[in-house]
Amino acid sequence: MGGKSEPAKSESMATTTTSPDLINSSFFSFKSLKLKTKQQELLLRISILGLVYILAFIARLFSVLRYESMIHEFDPYFNYRTTLFLTEKGFYEFWNWFDSESWYPLGRIIGGTLYPGLMVTAALIYWALRFLRFFVHIREVCVLTAPFFASNTTLVAYFFGKEIWDTGAGLVAAVLIAICPGYISRSVAGSYDNEAVAIFALLLTFYLFVKAVNTGSLAWALASAFGYFYMVSAWGGYVFIINLVPLYVLVLLITGRYSMRLYIAYNCMYILGMLLAMQIRFVGFQHVQSGEHMGAMGVFLLMQVFYFLDWVKYQLNDTKLFQTFLRITVTSAIMVGGIALGLGTASGYISPWTGRFYSLLDPTYAKDHIPIIASVSEHQPTAWSSFMFDYHILLFLFPAGLYFCFKRLSDATIFIVMYGLTSLYFAGVMVRLILVATPAVCLISAIAVSATVKNLTSLLRTKQKVSQTGSTKGAGSSKASSKVTLDQSQPFQKNGAIALLVGVFYLLSRYAIHCTWVTSEAYSSPSIVLAARGAHGNRILFDDYREAYYWLRQNTPTDAKIMSWWDYGYQITAMGNRTVIVDNNTWNNTHIATVGRAMSSNEDEAYEIMRSLDVNYVLVVFGGVTGYSSDDINKFLWMVRIGGGVYPVIKEPEYLVNGEFRVDKGASPKMLNCLMYKLCYYRFGELTTEYGKPPGYDRARGVEIGNKDIKLEHLEEAYTTSNWIVRIYRVKPPTNRL
Amino acid sequence: MRSTTTTTMAVKSKLVSLLFLIATLSSAFAASFSDSDSDSDLVNELVSLRSATESGVIHLDDHGISKFLTSASTPRPYSLLVFFDATQLHSKTELRLQELRREFGVVSASYLANNNGSEGTKLFFCEIEFSKSQSSFQLFGVNALPHIRLVSPFISNLRDESGQMDQSDYSRLAESMAEFVEQRTKLKVGPIQRPPFLSKSQIGVIVSLIVIATPFVIKRILRGETLLHDHRLWLAGAIFVYFFSVAGTMHNIIRKMPMFLQDRNDPNKLVFFYQGSGMQLGAEGFAVGFLYTVVGLLLAFVTNVLVRVKNLNAQRLVMLLALFISFWAVKKVVYLDNWKTGYGIHPYWPSSWR
Repeated sequence: MGGKSEPAKSESMATTTTSPDLINSSFFSFKSLKLKTKQQELLLRISILGLVYILAFIARLFSVLRYESMIHEFDPYFNYRTTLFLTEKGFYEFWNWFDSESWYPLGRIIGGTLYPGLMVTAALIYWALRFLRFFVHIREVCVLTAPFFASNTTLVAYFFGKEIWDTGAGLVAAVLIAICPGYISRSVAGSYDNEAVAIFALLLTFYLFVKAVNTGSLAWALASAFGYFYMVSAWGGYVFIINLVPLYVLVLLITGRYSMRLYIAYNCMYILGMLLAMQIRFVGFQHVQSGEHMGAMGVFLLMQVFYFLDWVKYQLNDTKLFQTFLRITVTSAIMVGGIALGLGTASGYISPWTGRFYSLLDPTYAKDHIPIIASVSEHQPTAWSSFMFDYHILLFLFPAGLYFCFKRLSDATIFIVMYGLTSLYFAGVMVRLILVATPAVCLISAIAVSATVKNLTSLLRTKQKVSQTGSTKGAGSSKASSKVTLDQSQPFQKNGAIALLVGVFYLLSRYAIHCTWVTSEAYSSPSIVLAARGAHGNRILFDDYREAYYWLRQNTPTDAKIMSWWDYGYQITAMGNRTVIVDNNTWNNTHIATVGRAMSSNEDEAYEIMRSLDVNYVLVVFGGVTGYSSDDINKFLWMVRIGGGVYPVIKEPEYLVNGEFRVDKGASPKMLNCLMYKLCYYRFGELTTEYGKPPGYDRARGVEIGNKDIKLEHLEEAYTTSNWIVRIYRVKPPTNRL
Repeated sequence: MRSTTTTTMAVKSKLVSLLFLIATLSSAFAASFSDSDSDSDLVNELVSLRSATESGVIHLDDHGISKFLTSASTPRPYSLLVFFDATQLHSKTELRLQELRREFGVVSASYLANNNGSEGTKLFFCEIEFSKSQSSFQLFGVNALPHIRLVSPFISNLRDESGQMDQSDYSRLAESMAEFVEQRTKLKVGPIQRPPFLSKSQIGVIVSLIVIATPFVIKRILRGETLLHDHRLWLAGAIFVYFFSVAGTMHNIIRKMPMFLQDRNDPNKLVFFYQGSGMQLGAEGFAVGFLYTVVGLLLAFVTNVLVRVKNLNAQRLVMLLALFISFWAVKKVVYLDNWKTGYGIHPYWPSSWR
């Protein structure tokens, strides 16, 4: 892996233009070509970018090397399944697809309830490869889509950094983002999820917009509208763009930075972007109807008011008259806007904010009102260690970067500061939004690194010049260097600068080490194959999930309905090819609550529910034998909570003992007799899992279970995988009445 | 990973049960045969007692208990909901006595406000304080707090614990208490009426202040000389948002994490750092967030401000100090992170180098 030494090296190359590498490489052609300093710099820059591009790709291949080329986790399986459908049946079939294999008996209209960007992108790459006569399997394309787009993101980061600061900052930003764990966590090979392309689209849109604001060019604004369209087609996170950009424009207006460039950029981007976004069926008319998008429209109208005022000011020469006019117009504009918003909301034309959006602004909201959102593991609030894990030294550099941005305030730096701060706040609310904040953190930190290194090296270099030519003033252009020529402290200044430089490079090398380690150990596991360390330090793989899904595929009737907790829905349909009751597209809370109720009821009641849903098989995930802690027993309280949210007969306290969740002898009777407990621990009492412990010792929770003699009446064990991680039960048909 | 999060089997909240060491009291408590107060007299007395209080919670002592419960013949024409309080335990915050007592008052006040006339005299809210009425505590057989007990009209033996409110019944505070009452007494408590966060006069003052201030603010914005135009303020705000986020403050707010914990084995020791990623204590987050911020700001300071300092020695000293502090802070954070997450991060060397 060249992953660790690369970034530090490229930084040094970025900042000191006289690198031995370059001299060597261009030595042979030196006489014939005679590169000027500018050309040398260009060559260096391109080769660094090329290296970073490759680095970003290969750093994400750990998962393929460690395991195999496969799709990871939960949601990607759905994306894979739909992509497969798209490549096999074509776009129109895909667009009109009604999927009867999920959400039985409701079904799901796939075309209208998904963001097609990712699937279409992968399919296009696939078709392009086939056109070029590369006959690859669609799965390989899906697996490698995320690394490919991560590489592209580094290029965008370079251009973005160049736009807001200088080329040095751009290069550093590209390096930082290439290996930043916050981004790698969602873009390793096999992580075939919407975010894989969405972060690229997000950064591209922002870059193009800032470029449009800086130049006032219609072409860039148009490009940013298309970037926005791609983002809308790829991920629900586009709401962040449609709220951040107006907020940014608003701040510029307030701080008196209104300009024609801004007017062109925003109007073009908003109107075209909105029209394009409406072409996505899942988004539809939300841009004009939902409360989440109203801020953008309000700012759009405000822009028109500003433009109008500007025009009137130009026409009127009397300032006093203009002041009066200004007051009347602004007041009436705000009033009209307010009334329109009020009427729209009251009449139901404008829908109120959705729960997910609301829970970002008032983070305690979801916990109290929407358990289905609060229960998702990636929606948990972030502790400081997660930030440290995902950003490492970028966190230290961030405040310095902020300081530099404020020192050189421009339209572009204001944007990056706002992007950084808002996304960092959201990252604090939900752990998965660290991903959205990553590009901003990388860019701002890159500014800090680049500006610091630039200051220090120019200090060093002017020193040499000074010592050669004597103390001529004005040789160095930067403030620091001119200061130095005044002081008579050159040896120390030089030493100080060297010490600081060494410190910076030491930090950057630590960053590279940290990123490589984190990528390799923490973020490359597919979570469909579990890995553990054996007693002798050897790696043990548990492939129970796939074992179970293939068993379902081969041994059950094709029309069998499988009930499981929603987490496993996508995987069962994609790998087992069987119909499921609920899946990871948690659109119908009642349906999920019904499953939660069945799992937390006793067997008789659960049987009634399962009969009413035509369930043939029940699948549970159990970690008591292997010590796998994210199994269904540990998720059980959420099933109770979600079930109880819709069916008040399920009460959470009945499953707890003194507020404590227990499965041993002290567990509540309701807990000991519920379906989930019985299915997980059926025949577990006969098994000795650990030496020196009684039979029925649950290794995931470290207790001896409370009910070892479990009898099943309406279900029978159908299959248990080799490590007991997945257990499948068949629902018996009703007994004949005589 | 988009899947349901898992619950660890951590102890959520454990009622610290408390044993009361009650000296042997005189067994007989003067079974006073009060000369057959008729029921209506008792009710009238309760009503008058209640009207004297603010939220309608009657403060009873041993005498009151004997008068309204033990000596009144069953069935009594009223139920009593009794809150057992102990002033000396208010300092133990984990019992939440004061909070529960406040919520109890809210339920009482809501009941009073929603039930006028005859319904209002069927249920009375009372409280007993331990230091003043120890014998009543013994009479009820209460030896752990918090304890709330409903004494329905038919109960003659006060030790009968059927009317006890479970922990789950006050877990959601006033709302669940009201549900309990409605379930047991078949009386209607009605919607809970909490006192508003700001009283009407306070709101009035605030609104009038805003109205008065608005023209001045608008004037200044138009002139372009507000704080909004001050870079330093924005910078401070930005740094604050950064600090707020990376310190995990949202985590503390959402999870309602305390600043620190008491060590379970040694109550005198305080635990400031929680081992295990995904969880943190309040003080821990702030400490680490502070370290992050300090290093970043020092870097900015050294490269932008320090170079302009004229005094050479001061410059050297500050520079060395800044380097030292940064080095220490980074080391500390990395060490803490490794300790917290349990990861040992190390570089990979080519296998031929070993």
